[in-house]
Amino acid sequence: MTGAQIAARAAGNAVIPRAAGGHRAFAALFRALMYGAIGVSALALVTLLYDVARDGLPKLSVDFLTSFPSRILPQTSGIQSAIYGTLWLMVVTAAIVVPLGIATALYLEEYADRRKWWNRFVEVNIQNLAAVPSVVYGILGLAFIVRGPLSLGRTVLAGGITLALLVLPVVIIVAREAIRAVPPSIREASLALGATQWQTIWKQVLPGSIAGIATGVILALSRAIGETAPLLVIGAAVNPRFNPDGLGSAFTALPIQIFAWTQDPNRDFVDLAAAAILVMMVVLLLMNSVAIFLRNRYEQKW
Amino acid sequence: MPATQRIHFQEELARLEEQALGALDLVVATLDRTLEALHHRDIELAAIVIADDDRIDGRYLEVHQGILSLLALQAPVASDLRVVAALLHVIKHAERMGDQCVNIAKLLPITGHEPPVDAEILANVEKMGALARSEVSQAKQAFLLRDVALAEDLVRQDEEINQLNKDCFRRAVEIGNDPDVREWAMTMMLVARALERIGDNAVDVGEQVAFVVSGLFREFSDASHR
Amino acid sequence: MTEQRREAASAVEPAPAPAPGARPAPRDVIFDVDGINVHYGPHRAIRDVTLDVHLNEITALIGPSGCGKSTFIRCLNRMNDLIPSARVDGRVLYHGEDLYGAEIDPVQVRKRIGMVFQKPNPFPKSIYDNIAFGPRVIGMKGDTDEIVESALRRGALWDEVKDRLDANAFGMSGGQQQRLCIARALATDPDVLLMDEPCSALDPISTGRIEDLMIELKQDYSIVIVTHNMQQAARVSGMTAFFTVELHDEGRSRTGAVVEYGETDKIFTNPDDKRTEDYVTGKFG
Repeated sequence: MTGAQIAARAAGNAVIPRAAGGHRAFAALFRALMYGAIGVSALALVTLLYDVARDGLPKLSVDFLTSFPSRILPQTSGIQSAIYGTLWLMVVTAAIVVPLGIATALYLEEYADRRKWWNRFVEVNIQNLAAVPSVVYGILGLAFIVRGPLSLGRTVLAGGITLALLVLPVVIIVAREAIRAVPPSIREASLALGATQWQTIWKQVLPGSIAGIATGVILALSRAIGETAPLLVIGAAVNPRFNPDGLGSAFTALPIQIFAWTQDPNRDFVDLAAAAILVMMVVLLLMNSVAIFLRNRYEQKW
Repeated sequence: MPATQRIHFQEELARLEEQALGALDLVVATLDRTLEALHHRDIELAAIVIADDDRIDGRYLEVHQGILSLLALQAPVASDLRVVAALLHVIKHAERMGDQCVNIAKLLPITGHEPPVDAEILANVEKMGALARSEVSQAKQAFLLRDVALAEDLVRQDEEINQLNKDCFRRAVEIGNDPDVREWAMTMMLVARALERIGDNAVDVGEQVAFVVSGLFREFSDASHR
Repeated sequence: MTEQRREAASAVEPAPAPAPGARPAPRDVIFDVDGINVHYGPHRAIRDVTLDVHLNEITALIGPSGCGKSTFIRCLNRMNDLIPSARVDGRVLYHGEDLYGAEIDPVQVRKRIGMVFQKPNPFPKSIYDNIAFGPRVIGMKGDTDEIVESALRRGALWDEVKDRLDANAFGMSGGQQQRLCIARALATDPDVLLMDEPCSALDPISTGRIEDLMIELKQDYSIVIVTHNMQQAARVSGMTAFFTVELHDEGRSRTGAVVEYGETDKIFTNPDDKRTEDYVTGKFG
C-alpha cells in the first residue's frame, strides 16, 4: 500500500477526498438562478418584439419607406424624411467623431506624459463624460450650438455636432483600447529600426488597431442612431414633408418620428410607430452585424 | 536544417587535436635526431636536441591552455569530452617522450668521442630506437584514425622493446668485467631504459585511443605481466 | 657532414609557440563608454560603467537579474530616451562621436545601431514587408527586392523563405521569427547589432543556429549581447563584462555596476575578481 493509502485508511478517509453533498446542491441552485435570469431577459425581449411585430408588420410596405409623414392621414404616412434625416446625421456625426476620436486617443496613448496633471485630468473627464445622460448633451447643443456662440439654428449640422459630442467619449475609449492592444514590442521594434514616432504610429500602430477602432466607431454610431432626447431638445422637426438638402437644413430622425407617432391619439399612428421601430431594429441589427463581421475578419491577434 | 551546428566549436576541437598530434610528430623528429646523434656519436646534434625540447614544452603549454579554454567556454560532452580528456593525456605523454630524448642526448657526451663499443649492445639499442620511433608514429596514426586495432598492436612492438632491454642488461652484466667497456655499457643501459620508457608512453597513447572510442579505460597489458 | 645535418635539422622548424601571457594586439574601439549612470526618477539603475566595446567582436554582458545589463545596452542606441523618467549621465562615444551630443537625433542613431529583442517581435505583415519596413522608413536608396534578399541572406534565412516572401510573419516558428528580426535589423545596414537576450524565448536548436549566425556576422558587424545564460556568453563572445547588483538602503534599492570586463577566455578560466569567480562557477548569483 502507498503512504497515501495508509494515511487515508488511518483517518477513515478515502484517498481522494469526496466533495461534500452541499457543494453540489449549491452549484445546481446557482445554475438554476442563472438560467432563470437569462430566461427573464429573453422573455422580456421576445415579448417586446412580438408586440412590435404584431402591430407593425402589417403596416410595413415599400410605400411606407418612400412616403413622407402626414399629420392627418396615417395611410399615406411614411418615414422617408426620417430615414434621410438619420442618414445625414450619421454622416455628419461620423465625419466629426472619427478624426477627433482617433486623434485624441492617439494623443493620450502615444504622446501624453501621464505624469502631467492636465493629461490625467483629461483622462478622468473622458470617463465621466461617457456616463453623462444624453439629454444633457441636448441642452448643451441647444445652448451653444443651436443658439449662443455658434448659432447654427435647428440644422443637420447642429444635430450632427451634438450627437458627435455625445458619442465622442465612447469612441475615444474604444480607440484607446484598440491602440493599447498593439503590444509595446511592436513600437520598440519599429523605433529601434530608426523610424520616428509618427512613422511608427502611422505604419504600425494605426494599421494594427484599425479593425478595433472601426468596430468601436460602428457600435458608437449605432448608439447615436437611437438617441431621442438630445435631438428633441435641439429641435428636430416633427413630421417634415421634405428631406434635408444641406447641412443648414432642418431635419428629423427615426427616433423622433417614432416618438411623435407614439404620442398621437390616433391608434393607427401608433401602429406606424411600431413599423418604424421594426425598420430601426433592422438597421441596428445590420450595423452590429457589420461591426462583428469586421472584428472577426480583420481583428489582429497578437 | 544544416548538417552540423557549432561549427566554431568543431573547428576549435579539430585544431586542438591537430596541435596535440603535431606534438607527437615533433617527438618523432626529435627521436630521429637523437638516434642519428647516437649512431654517429654527434655531440653537437645532441646539443641541438636538448635545446629544441623547448618547442615540445611550448607545444604542451599551448595545448594545455587550449584544452582549459575549450572546457570552460564550450562545455564539451560525450565523445567530444573524451577526446579533450584524451588530448590532455596525449600531450603529457608527448612531453615525457621529449624529455626522454633529452635524457638520451645528455648521456652522449659521457661516452666520449671514441668510446669502446660492444657490437651486440649497440645493435640492440639501435633496434630499440627504431622500434620506439615506429611506436610513436603508429600511436599518432592510431589516434588520428581512431583505430583501436592499430593501437593494440603497439603492445606487440613494446614487448619486443622490453625483451631487447632485458637482453642489453644481460649483455652489459656479461661484459662488465672489462673496466673500459663497463662505463660505456652502463651508459648504454640508461639509453635503453629511456627508449623503453618512450615505448611505454606510446602504448599509453594507444590506450587513450581505446578510451576515446569505447569510453572505457583499460590497460593494454598489465605491467606486472612483463 | 655534421654541419649539413645540423642545418637540415634546424631548417624545417615551425615558429615556436608564443610565450603564455603575451599581450594580444590592441583592438579598434567602436563604443567608448565613460562613467555611464542611469537614473529612473530618483532611483539609480546603473552606476559608473566604463568600458570599451571592440570592433568586429562579440561582447557579452552577463550577471544576475536586475543588474542593469538591459538598461546599459539600451544606452547604446538611445532606447532609454523612450522612457520619460530615464536620465542618462556620462559619455558614450560611437566611432569617436558623442552619442548623446546636443545636436544628435536619436532616430539617426538607431539607423546605424540595430537592436534585437528578447521575445521575437515581427510585424503582423508579410516577411517581405517586415524586412522592407526599416529601409523604407529611413529612406534607403536602392532596389527594395535586392535589399530584402541581401538582408535575408545575411540572416541565414533566405533559403527557407525565398518562395514564400508574401507569407505572414506570424506563421513562422519562434526561432525563424527571431532570425527574421535579426535580418530585419540588418536590412538598414547598421554596423552594430545590439541583442537583448535574443535566445531566452527559444528552444536549444534555434538557439544554436542563432549562435552560429552571430559568429558568422561578427566578421562584418560589432555585436553586443545581453544574456543570462553564462554558457552562451562563453560559447560565442570574445569579451565579457560581468555586472553585479549592489544593494542600498537595507536592500530597498538596487544598483547595477560592472565588476570585471575582459577577454571571455580569462573570465571563464581565471577571473581577477572573486565575485566573478563566484558567479561563473555558480556559487552565487
